[in-house]
Amino acid sequence: MSEYALEVRALKKTFGSKVAVGGVSLTVEKGILFSLLGVNGAGKTTMIRMLNGLSKPTEGQAFVMGHSVAQELSQIKQLSNISPQETAVAPNLSVWENLEFMADIYGMNREKSRKRVQEVLDQFALHEVEQQRAGTLSGGWQRRLSIAMALITNPEILYLDEPTLGLDVLARKELWRTIEDLKGKITIVLTTHYMEEAERLSDQVAVMVAGEIKACGTVHELYTITGKKTLEDAFVAIAEGEVSI
Amino acid sequence: MRSIIFCKRTIKELLRDPLSYIFCLGFPIVMLIIMSVVNNSIPAEAHMDIFQIQNLAPGIAVFGLTFVMLFACLQVSKDRTTAFLTRLYASPMRPVDFIAGYTLPLLIIAVLQAVINFVTSFVIGLISGYTFQLFHVLLCLVALLPTALLFIAFGLFAGSLLNDKAAPGICSLLITAACILGGIWMDVDSIGGILKTVCQVLPFYHGVQAARMAMQGEYSQLGKPFFIILIYALVIYTFAVLAFQKKMRSDLK
Repeated sequence: MSEYALEVRALKKTFGSKVAVGGVSLTVEKGILFSLLGVNGAGKTTMIRMLNGLSKPTEGQAFVMGHSVAQELSQIKQLSNISPQETAVAPNLSVWENLEFMADIYGMNREKSRKRVQEVLDQFALHEVEQQRAGTLSGGWQRRLSIAMALITNPEILYLDEPTLGLDVLARKELWRTIEDLKGKITIVLTTHYMEEAERLSDQVAVMVAGEIKACGTVHELYTITGKKTLEDAFVAIAEGEVSI
Repeated sequence: MRSIIFCKRTIKELLRDPLSYIFCLGFPIVMLIIMSVVNNSIPAEAHMDIFQIQNLAPGIAVFGLTFVMLFACLQVSKDRTTAFLTRLYASPMRPVDFIAGYTLPLLIIAVLQAVINFVTSFVIGLISGYTFQLFHVLLCLVALLPTALLFIAFGLFAGSLLNDKAAPGICSLLITAACILGGIWMDVDSIGGILKTVCQVLPFYHGVQAARMAMQGEYSQLGKPFFIILIYALVIYTFAVLAFQKKMRSDLK
Protein backbone atom coordinates (compact mmCIF):
# COMPACT_ATOMS: atom_id res chain seq x y z
CA MET A 1 0.00 0.00 0.00
CA SER A 2 1.32 3.39 -0.97
CA GLU A 3 2.31 5.84 1.76
CA TYR A 4 0.88 8.64 -0.36
CA ALA A 5 -2.73 9.47 -1.11
CA LEU A 6 -1.64 10.85 -4.46
CA GLU A 7 1.41 10.30 -6.61
CA VAL A 8 1.51 12.21 -9.84
CA ARG A 9 4.33 11.73 -12.32
CA ALA A 10 4.78 14.08 -15.29
CA LEU A 11 1.02 14.31 -15.80
CA LYS A 12 0.14 16.23 -18.92
CA LYS A 13 -3.11 17.21 -20.59
CA THR A 14 -3.43 18.99 -23.87
CA PHE A 15 -6.51 20.08 -25.81
CA GLY A 16 -5.27 20.38 -29.37
CA SER A 17 -2.32 22.77 -29.20
CA LYS A 18 -3.38 24.19 -25.83
CA VAL A 19 -1.55 22.78 -22.82
CA ALA A 20 -3.95 22.67 -19.86
CA VAL A 21 -1.62 20.75 -17.53
CA GLY A 22 2.01 20.53 -18.49
CA GLY A 23 3.91 17.60 -17.00
CA VAL A 24 3.01 18.03 -13.33
CA SER A 25 4.67 15.85 -10.68
CA LEU A 26 3.72 15.90 -7.03
CA THR A 27 2.92 13.74 -4.03
CA VAL A 28 0.25 14.26 -1.39
CA GLU A 29 0.47 12.60 2.01
CA LYS A 30 -2.51 10.77 3.44
CA GLY A 31 -4.84 12.65 5.77
CA ILE A 32 -3.84 16.19 4.86
CA LEU A 33 -5.72 18.99 3.17
CA PHE A 34 -3.85 19.81 0.00
CA SER A 35 -4.78 22.96 -1.91
CA LEU A 36 -4.21 23.64 -5.57
CA LEU A 37 -4.07 27.41 -5.74
CA GLY A 38 -4.25 29.25 -9.02
CA VAL A 39 -6.08 31.81 -11.08
CA ASN A 40 -8.95 30.82 -13.40
CA GLY A 41 -7.65 28.66 -16.24
CA ALA A 42 -4.51 27.59 -14.38
CA GLY A 43 -5.35 23.91 -14.85
CA LYS A 44 -6.61 23.07 -11.36
CA THR A 45 -9.93 21.57 -12.43
CA THR A 46 -8.33 19.65 -15.32
CA MET A 47 -5.84 18.24 -12.82
CA ILE A 48 -8.47 16.85 -10.48
CA ARG A 49 -10.63 15.70 -13.40
CA MET A 50 -7.70 13.52 -14.50
CA LEU A 51 -7.29 12.13 -10.99
CA ASN A 52 -10.98 11.15 -10.98
CA GLY A 53 -11.02 9.54 -14.40
CA LEU A 54 -13.20 12.38 -15.73
CA SER A 55 -10.48 13.36 -18.16
CA LYS A 56 -7.85 11.15 -19.77
CA PRO A 57 -4.23 12.29 -19.33
CA THR A 58 -2.33 12.91 -22.55
CA GLU A 59 0.91 11.75 -20.92
CA GLY A 60 2.22 10.73 -17.53
CA GLN A 61 0.95 8.62 -14.67
CA ALA A 62 -1.14 9.16 -11.57
CA PHE A 63 -1.75 6.90 -8.60
CA VAL A 64 -4.58 7.39 -6.12
CA MET A 65 -4.11 5.46 -2.87
CA GLY A 66 -1.61 3.34 -4.77
CA HIS A 67 -4.00 2.53 -7.64
CA SER A 68 -3.17 3.54 -11.17
CA VAL A 69 -5.67 5.95 -12.72
CA ALA A 70 -5.01 4.41 -16.13
CA GLN A 71 -5.50 0.78 -15.08
CA GLU A 72 -7.46 0.63 -11.81
CA LEU A 73 -10.09 3.32 -12.20
CA SER A 74 -12.93 1.16 -10.86
CA GLN A 75 -11.07 0.68 -7.55
CA ILE A 76 -10.28 4.38 -7.41
CA LYS A 77 -13.95 5.27 -7.93
CA GLN A 78 -14.84 3.33 -4.79
CA LEU A 79 -12.13 5.11 -2.77
CA SER A 80 -12.63 8.69 -3.90
CA ASN A 81 -15.38 11.18 -4.54
CA ILE A 82 -15.72 14.67 -5.90
CA SER A 83 -17.79 17.75 -5.24
CA PRO A 84 -17.70 19.47 -8.64
CA GLN A 85 -17.22 23.19 -9.12
CA GLU A 86 -20.86 23.74 -10.01
CA THR A 87 -23.36 22.51 -7.47
CA ALA A 88 -24.25 18.97 -8.50
CA VAL A 89 -27.53 17.95 -6.92
CA ALA A 90 -30.77 16.45 -8.24
CA PRO A 91 -33.07 19.50 -7.90
CA ASN A 92 -36.42 17.70 -7.55
CA LEU A 93 -35.13 15.22 -4.96
CA SER A 94 -35.15 16.13 -1.28
CA VAL A 95 -31.91 16.51 0.64
CA TRP A 96 -32.48 13.08 2.19
CA GLU A 97 -33.17 11.50 -1.20
CA ASN A 98 -30.08 13.05 -2.78
CA LEU A 99 -27.90 11.61 -0.03
CA GLU A 100 -29.60 8.21 -0.14
CA PHE A 101 -29.26 8.14 -3.94
CA MET A 102 -25.50 8.63 -3.74
CA ALA A 103 -25.12 6.00 -1.00
CA ASP A 104 -27.14 3.52 -3.08
CA ILE A 105 -25.16 4.22 -6.26
CA TYR A 106 -21.98 3.31 -4.39
CA GLY A 107 -23.50 -0.04 -3.41
CA MET A 108 -24.56 0.44 0.22
CA ASN A 109 -27.44 -1.76 1.36
CA ARG A 110 -30.66 -0.15 2.59
CA GLU A 111 -29.82 -0.34 6.30
CA LYS A 112 -26.28 0.97 5.89
CA SER A 113 -27.43 3.64 3.49
CA ARG A 114 -30.04 5.01 5.93
CA LYS A 115 -27.57 4.96 8.81
CA ARG A 116 -25.01 6.80 6.74
CA VAL A 117 -27.58 9.41 5.63
CA GLN A 118 -28.36 10.14 9.28
CA GLU A 119 -24.66 10.47 10.10
CA VAL A 120 -24.05 12.88 7.23
CA LEU A 121 -27.17 14.91 8.05
CA ASP A 122 -25.76 15.29 11.59
CA GLN A 123 -22.24 16.04 10.36
CA PHE A 124 -23.37 18.78 7.96
CA ALA A 125 -26.24 20.07 10.12
CA LEU A 126 -28.69 19.39 7.31
CA HIS A 127 -31.57 18.09 9.45
CA GLU A 128 -33.61 21.28 9.23
CA VAL A 129 -33.76 20.99 5.42
CA GLU A 130 -33.71 17.20 5.05
CA GLN A 131 -37.20 17.01 3.51
CA GLN A 132 -36.75 20.12 1.37
CA ARG A 133 -36.16 19.73 -2.37
CA ALA A 134 -32.55 20.46 -3.23
CA GLY A 135 -33.50 22.89 -6.00
CA THR A 136 -35.25 25.17 -3.50
CA LEU A 137 -32.22 25.50 -1.19
CA SER A 138 -30.01 28.61 -1.11
CA GLY A 139 -26.60 28.47 -2.80
CA GLY A 140 -24.82 27.87 0.51
CA TRP A 141 -27.08 24.98 1.50
CA GLN A 142 -26.83 23.45 -1.98
CA ARG A 143 -23.04 23.56 -1.82
CA ARG A 144 -23.08 22.00 1.62
CA LEU A 145 -25.37 19.25 0.31
CA SER A 146 -23.11 18.78 -2.70
CA ILE A 147 -20.12 18.16 -0.42
CA ALA A 148 -22.21 15.91 1.84
CA MET A 149 -23.15 13.85 -1.23
CA ALA A 150 -19.47 13.36 -1.97
CA LEU A 151 -18.69 12.41 1.61
CA ILE A 152 -21.56 9.97 2.18
CA THR A 153 -19.68 7.24 0.32
CA ASN A 154 -16.92 7.29 2.95
CA PRO A 155 -14.18 8.25 0.49
CA GLU A 156 -10.56 7.99 1.52
CA ILE A 157 -9.82 10.96 -0.70
CA LEU A 158 -12.21 13.83 -1.38
CA TYR A 159 -11.83 16.41 -4.15
CA LEU A 160 -13.44 19.78 -3.57
CA ASP A 161 -13.36 21.84 -6.74
CA GLU A 162 -13.76 25.54 -5.86
CA PRO A 163 -16.18 24.67 -3.03
CA THR A 164 -16.96 28.25 -2.01
CA LEU A 165 -17.12 29.81 -5.48
CA GLY A 166 -20.04 32.24 -5.70
CA LEU A 167 -21.03 31.96 -2.05
CA ASP A 168 -21.59 34.98 0.19
CA VAL A 169 -19.18 35.62 3.03
CA LEU A 170 -21.32 33.98 5.72
CA ALA A 171 -21.99 30.84 3.67
CA ARG A 172 -18.28 30.66 2.82
CA LYS A 173 -17.20 30.86 6.47
CA GLU A 174 -19.80 28.25 7.42
CA LEU A 175 -18.47 25.93 4.72
CA TRP A 176 -14.90 26.48 5.89
CA ARG A 177 -15.92 25.31 9.36
CA THR A 178 -17.44 22.18 7.79
CA ILE A 179 -14.26 21.50 5.82
CA GLU A 180 -12.10 22.11 8.92
CA ASP A 181 -14.12 19.45 10.74
CA LEU A 182 -13.15 16.94 8.03
CA LYS A 183 -9.44 17.65 8.30
CA GLY A 184 -7.35 14.80 9.57
CA LYS A 185 -10.08 12.23 8.93
CA ILE A 186 -9.59 11.87 5.18
CA THR A 187 -7.32 13.28 2.50
CA ILE A 188 -8.81 16.38 0.92
CA VAL A 189 -7.68 17.95 -2.34
CA LEU A 190 -9.13 21.41 -2.70
CA THR A 191 -8.88 23.77 -5.63
CA THR A 192 -9.38 27.45 -5.01
CA HIS A 193 -8.38 30.88 -6.14
CA TYR A 194 -9.27 32.44 -2.79
CA MET A 195 -6.02 33.10 -0.91
CA GLU A 196 -7.76 33.42 2.45
CA GLU A 197 -9.37 30.03 1.93
CA ALA A 198 -6.09 28.31 1.09
CA GLU A 199 -4.33 30.07 3.99
CA ARG A 200 -6.93 29.06 6.54
CA LEU A 201 -7.59 25.49 5.49
CA SER A 202 -4.47 24.03 3.89
CA ASP A 203 -1.79 21.79 5.33
CA GLN A 204 0.03 22.08 2.04
CA VAL A 205 -0.39 24.40 -0.94
CA ALA A 206 0.70 24.01 -4.56
CA VAL A 207 0.70 27.16 -6.65
CA MET A 208 -0.40 26.36 -10.17
CA VAL A 209 0.29 28.78 -13.00
CA ALA A 210 -0.47 28.10 -16.68
CA GLY A 211 -0.69 24.36 -16.14
CA GLU A 212 2.48 24.02 -14.08
CA ILE A 213 3.20 23.73 -10.37
CA LYS A 214 5.41 26.71 -9.60
CA ALA A 215 5.78 26.13 -5.87
CA CYS A 216 4.65 23.58 -3.30
CA GLY A 217 4.85 23.57 0.48
CA THR A 218 3.16 24.73 3.63
CA VAL A 219 1.88 28.28 3.72
CA HIS A 220 4.81 29.28 5.96
CA GLU A 221 7.29 27.66 3.59
CA LEU A 222 5.84 29.77 0.77
CA TYR A 223 6.30 32.89 2.93
CA THR A 224 9.92 31.92 3.55
CA ILE A 225 10.61 31.14 -0.11
CA THR A 226 9.16 34.43 -1.34
CA GLY A 227 10.01 36.64 1.62
CA LYS A 228 6.40 37.82 1.76
CA LYS A 229 4.07 38.07 4.73
CA THR A 230 0.75 37.13 3.18
CA LEU A 231 -0.24 34.29 0.89
CA GLU A 232 -1.63 36.76 -1.61
CA ASP A 233 1.73 38.53 -1.90
CA ALA A 234 3.55 35.20 -2.01
CA PHE A 235 1.19 33.94 -4.73
CA VAL A 236 1.64 37.08 -6.83
CA ALA A 237 5.43 36.85 -6.46
CA ILE A 238 5.39 33.21 -7.60
CA ALA A 239 2.81 33.70 -10.37
CA GLU A 240 4.57 36.72 -11.82
CA GLY A 241 7.98 35.12 -11.58
CA GLU A 242 9.37 37.67 -9.12
CA VAL A 243 11.06 34.80 -7.31
CA SER A 244 12.65 31.87 -9.08
CA ILE A 245 11.94 28.54 -7.45
CA MET B 1 -28.94 -2.57 -9.66
CA ARG B 2 -27.51 0.90 -10.30
CA SER B 3 -29.86 1.16 -13.29
CA ILE B 4 -32.83 0.66 -10.97
CA ILE B 5 -31.51 3.26 -8.51
CA PHE B 6 -31.05 5.74 -11.36
CA CYS B 7 -34.54 4.83 -12.70
CA LYS B 8 -36.11 5.70 -9.35
CA ARG B 9 -34.36 9.02 -9.33
CA THR B 10 -35.45 9.84 -12.91
CA ILE B 11 -39.07 8.91 -12.15
CA LYS B 12 -39.06 11.17 -9.08
CA GLU B 13 -37.53 14.03 -11.07
CA LEU B 14 -40.16 13.68 -13.79
CA LEU B 15 -43.19 13.18 -11.55
CA ARG B 16 -42.27 16.16 -9.38
CA ASP B 17 -42.09 18.52 -12.32
CA PRO B 18 -45.54 20.20 -12.69
CA LEU B 19 -44.88 20.65 -16.42
CA SER B 20 -44.97 16.84 -16.78
CA TYR B 21 -48.62 16.84 -15.74
CA ILE B 22 -49.52 19.82 -17.89
CA PHE B 23 -47.92 18.55 -21.08
CA CYS B 24 -47.91 14.77 -20.66
CA LEU B 25 -51.43 14.47 -19.24
CA GLY B 26 -53.37 17.71 -19.27
CA PHE B 27 -52.72 18.83 -22.84
CA PRO B 28 -53.53 15.49 -24.57
CA ILE B 29 -56.71 15.08 -22.51
CA VAL B 30 -57.83 18.64 -23.29
CA MET B 31 -57.20 17.95 -26.99
CA LEU B 32 -59.16 14.70 -26.72
CA ILE B 33 -62.15 16.55 -25.28
CA ILE B 34 -61.92 19.46 -27.77
CA MET B 35 -61.65 17.16 -30.77
CA SER B 36 -64.57 15.07 -29.53
CA VAL B 37 -66.66 18.25 -29.38
CA VAL B 38 -65.42 19.16 -32.89
CA ASN B 39 -66.41 15.67 -34.08
CA ASN B 40 -69.97 16.22 -32.84
CA SER B 41 -70.18 19.31 -35.06
CA ILE B 42 -69.10 17.47 -38.20
CA PRO B 43 -72.09 16.28 -40.24
CA ALA B 44 -72.24 12.57 -41.10
CA GLU B 45 -72.36 13.46 -44.82
CA ALA B 46 -68.78 14.71 -44.57
CA HIS B 47 -67.64 11.06 -44.04
CA MET B 48 -64.86 12.32 -41.81
CA ASP B 49 -64.15 9.63 -39.26
CA ILE B 50 -60.68 10.74 -38.09
CA PHE B 51 -62.09 12.52 -35.03
CA GLN B 52 -64.43 9.69 -34.05
CA ILE B 53 -63.39 8.46 -30.63
CA GLN B 54 -62.14 5.04 -31.84
CA ASN B 55 -59.69 6.85 -34.19
CA LEU B 56 -59.09 9.87 -32.02
CA ALA B 57 -58.04 7.90 -28.91
CA PRO B 58 -55.05 6.15 -30.55
CA GLY B 59 -54.10 9.36 -32.38
CA ILE B 60 -54.09 11.36 -29.16
CA ALA B 61 -52.11 8.55 -27.49
CA VAL B 62 -49.36 9.07 -30.10
CA PHE B 63 -49.69 12.86 -29.68
CA GLY B 64 -49.12 12.41 -25.93
CA LEU B 65 -45.98 10.36 -26.59
CA THR B 66 -44.43 13.31 -28.42
CA PHE B 67 -44.36 15.12 -25.07
CA VAL B 68 -42.58 12.15 -23.48
CA MET B 69 -39.88 12.89 -26.08
CA LEU B 70 -39.76 16.49 -24.86
CA PHE B 71 -39.28 15.37 -21.28
CA ALA B 72 -36.66 12.78 -22.20
CA CYS B 73 -34.74 15.47 -23.99
CA LEU B 74 -35.10 18.04 -21.19
CA GLN B 75 -34.08 15.55 -18.49
CA VAL B 76 -30.90 14.45 -20.26
CA SER B 77 -29.88 17.95 -21.36
CA LYS B 78 -30.53 19.40 -17.89
CA ASP B 79 -28.47 16.66 -16.24
CA ARG B 80 -25.68 17.32 -18.73
CA THR B 81 -25.82 21.09 -18.35
CA THR B 82 -25.60 20.94 -14.55
CA ALA B 83 -22.67 19.16 -12.94
CA PHE B 84 -24.93 16.31 -11.81
CA LEU B 85 -23.77 13.95 -14.56
CA THR B 86 -20.13 14.90 -13.86
CA ARG B 87 -20.62 13.64 -10.32
CA LEU B 88 -22.15 10.43 -11.62
CA TYR B 89 -19.44 9.94 -14.26
CA ALA B 90 -16.98 9.87 -11.34
CA SER B 91 -19.07 7.18 -9.63
CA PRO B 92 -19.06 3.44 -10.43
CA MET B 93 -22.04 3.90 -12.83
CA ARG B 94 -21.58 2.45 -16.33
CA PRO B 95 -23.03 3.83 -19.60
CA VAL B 96 -25.69 1.08 -19.64
CA ASP B 97 -26.90 2.24 -16.20
CA PHE B 98 -27.48 5.75 -17.55
CA ILE B 99 -29.27 4.55 -20.70
CA ALA B 100 -31.57 2.17 -18.81
CA GLY B 101 -32.05 4.75 -16.06
CA TYR B 102 -33.44 7.23 -18.53
CA THR B 103 -35.37 4.83 -20.79
CA LEU B 104 -37.33 2.67 -18.34
CA PRO B 105 -38.97 5.52 -16.35
CA LEU B 106 -39.99 7.23 -19.58
CA LEU B 107 -41.50 4.00 -20.90
CA ILE B 108 -43.46 3.61 -17.67
CA ILE B 109 -44.69 7.22 -17.93
CA ALA B 110 -45.62 6.64 -21.59
CA VAL B 111 -47.74 3.59 -20.68
CA LEU B 112 -49.41 5.41 -17.75
CA GLN B 113 -50.16 8.33 -20.02
CA ALA B 114 -51.73 6.06 -22.64
CA VAL B 115 -53.82 4.27 -19.98
CA ILE B 116 -55.17 7.59 -18.64
CA ASN B 117 -55.88 8.68 -22.21
CA PHE B 118 -57.85 5.48 -22.87
CA VAL B 119 -59.79 5.75 -19.62
CA THR B 120 -60.82 9.29 -20.63
CA SER B 121 -61.65 8.03 -24.13
CA PHE B 122 -63.77 5.26 -22.60
CA VAL B 123 -65.84 7.86 -20.74
CA ILE B 124 -66.20 10.00 -23.89
CA GLY B 125 -67.10 6.82 -25.81
CA LEU B 126 -69.88 6.04 -23.30
CA ILE B 127 -71.29 9.54 -23.76
CA SER B 128 -71.10 9.36 -27.56
CA GLY B 129 -72.39 5.80 -27.76
CA TYR B 130 -69.19 3.91 -28.60
CA THR B 131 -67.91 1.04 -26.47
CA PHE B 132 -64.22 0.17 -26.52
CA GLN B 133 -63.26 -3.49 -26.37
CA LEU B 134 -60.77 -4.19 -23.60
CA PHE B 135 -58.71 -6.57 -25.71
CA HIS B 136 -58.36 -3.97 -28.46
CA VAL B 137 -57.32 -1.33 -25.93
CA LEU B 138 -54.66 -3.68 -24.51
CA LEU B 139 -53.49 -4.52 -28.03
CA CYS B 140 -53.27 -0.81 -28.78
CA LEU B 141 -51.11 -0.31 -25.67
CA VAL B 142 -48.71 -2.95 -27.01
CA ALA B 143 -48.80 -1.39 -30.48
CA LEU B 144 -47.86 1.97 -28.93
CA LEU B 145 -44.70 0.64 -27.27
CA PRO B 146 -42.43 0.94 -30.38
CA THR B 147 -43.73 4.50 -30.93
CA ALA B 148 -43.00 5.31 -27.28
CA LEU B 149 -39.47 3.91 -27.69
CA LEU B 150 -39.06 5.94 -30.90
CA PHE B 151 -39.97 9.22 -29.21
CA ILE B 152 -37.83 8.42 -26.14
CA ALA B 153 -34.96 7.72 -28.55
CA PHE B 154 -35.48 11.09 -30.28
CA GLY B 155 -35.50 12.72 -26.83
CA LEU B 156 -32.30 10.96 -25.72
CA PHE B 157 -30.68 11.82 -29.03
CA ALA B 158 -31.52 15.54 -28.83
CA GLY B 159 -30.76 15.69 -25.09
CA SER B 160 -27.35 14.10 -25.63
CA LEU B 161 -26.29 16.44 -28.41
CA LEU B 162 -27.96 19.74 -27.49
CA ASN B 163 -28.08 21.90 -24.39
CA ASP B 164 -31.25 22.51 -22.38
CA LYS B 165 -32.00 25.72 -24.31
CA ALA B 166 -31.67 24.34 -27.85
CA ALA B 167 -33.12 20.89 -27.22
CA PRO B 168 -36.78 21.93 -26.58
CA GLY B 169 -36.81 23.88 -29.86
CA ILE B 170 -35.78 20.83 -31.86
CA CYS B 171 -38.35 18.72 -30.01
CA SER B 172 -41.09 21.25 -30.84
CA LEU B 173 -40.24 20.82 -34.51
CA LEU B 174 -40.48 17.05 -34.16
CA ILE B 175 -43.79 17.32 -32.30
CA THR B 176 -45.23 19.43 -35.12
CA ALA B 177 -43.85 17.06 -37.76
CA ALA B 178 -45.22 14.02 -35.95
CA CYS B 179 -48.69 15.57 -35.65
CA ILE B 180 -48.93 16.70 -39.26
CA LEU B 181 -47.06 13.90 -41.02
CA GLY B 182 -48.32 11.20 -38.68
CA GLY B 183 -51.91 11.84 -39.62
CA ILE B 184 -53.06 12.59 -36.09
CA TRP B 185 -55.03 15.70 -37.08
CA MET B 186 -55.71 14.95 -40.74
CA ASP B 187 -56.56 11.99 -42.92
CA VAL B 188 -53.35 11.41 -44.82
CA ASP B 189 -54.83 8.51 -46.83
CA SER B 190 -57.60 10.66 -48.30
CA ILE B 191 -55.12 13.42 -49.22
CA GLY B 192 -52.71 11.09 -50.99
CA GLY B 193 -50.09 12.40 -53.43
CA ILE B 194 -46.62 13.50 -52.42
CA LEU B 195 -47.75 14.27 -48.87
CA LYS B 196 -48.76 10.66 -48.36
CA THR B 197 -45.43 9.48 -49.79
CA VAL B 198 -43.54 11.74 -47.39
CA CYS B 199 -45.68 10.49 -44.51
CA GLN B 200 -44.99 6.87 -45.45
CA VAL B 201 -41.25 7.45 -45.58
CA LEU B 202 -41.24 8.88 -42.04
CA PRO B 203 -42.02 6.73 -38.98
CA PHE B 204 -44.83 8.77 -37.39
CA TYR B 205 -47.59 7.72 -39.82
CA HIS B 206 -46.84 4.05 -39.19
CA GLY B 207 -46.98 4.59 -35.42
CA VAL B 208 -50.41 6.19 -35.68
CA GLN B 209 -51.61 3.52 -38.13
CA ALA B 210 -50.44 0.67 -35.89
CA ALA B 211 -52.28 2.18 -32.89
CA ARG B 212 -55.48 2.74 -34.91
CA MET B 213 -55.45 -0.75 -36.46
CA ALA B 214 -54.95 -2.31 -33.02
CA MET B 215 -57.77 -0.26 -31.51
CA GLN B 216 -60.14 -1.30 -34.31
CA GLY B 217 -59.05 -4.95 -34.13
CA GLU B 218 -57.85 -4.92 -37.73
CA TYR B 219 -55.37 -7.74 -37.14
CA SER B 220 -54.65 -8.35 -40.80
CA GLN B 221 -53.56 -4.72 -41.32
CA LEU B 222 -51.75 -4.27 -38.00
CA GLY B 223 -48.57 -6.22 -38.78
CA LYS B 224 -47.07 -3.99 -41.46
CA PRO B 225 -47.19 -0.60 -39.67
CA PHE B 226 -46.26 -2.29 -36.38
CA PHE B 227 -43.07 -3.83 -37.77
CA ILE B 228 -42.14 -0.68 -39.69
CA ILE B 229 -42.42 1.46 -36.54
CA LEU B 230 -40.62 -1.22 -34.52
CA ILE B 231 -37.66 -1.20 -36.92
CA TYR B 232 -37.59 2.61 -36.93
CA ALA B 233 -37.69 2.63 -33.12
CA LEU B 234 -34.85 0.12 -32.76
CA VAL B 235 -32.66 1.92 -35.31
CA ILE B 236 -33.24 5.42 -33.85
CA TYR B 237 -32.80 4.07 -30.30
CA THR B 238 -29.49 2.49 -31.30
CA PHE B 239 -28.38 5.87 -32.71
CA ALA B 240 -29.52 7.59 -29.51
CA VAL B 241 -27.51 5.17 -27.34
CA LEU B 242 -24.45 5.68 -29.54
CA ALA B 243 -24.91 9.48 -29.37
CA PHE B 244 -25.17 9.36 -25.56
CA GLN B 245 -22.08 7.16 -25.27
CA LYS B 246 -20.14 9.34 -27.71
CA LYS B 247 -21.08 12.46 -25.78
CA MET B 248 -20.13 10.76 -22.52
CA ARG B 249 -16.76 9.78 -23.95
CA SER B 250 -16.15 13.28 -25.28
CA ASP B 251 -17.11 14.74 -21.88
CA LEU B 252 -14.51 12.42 -20.34
CA LYS B 253 -11.70 13.41 -22.72
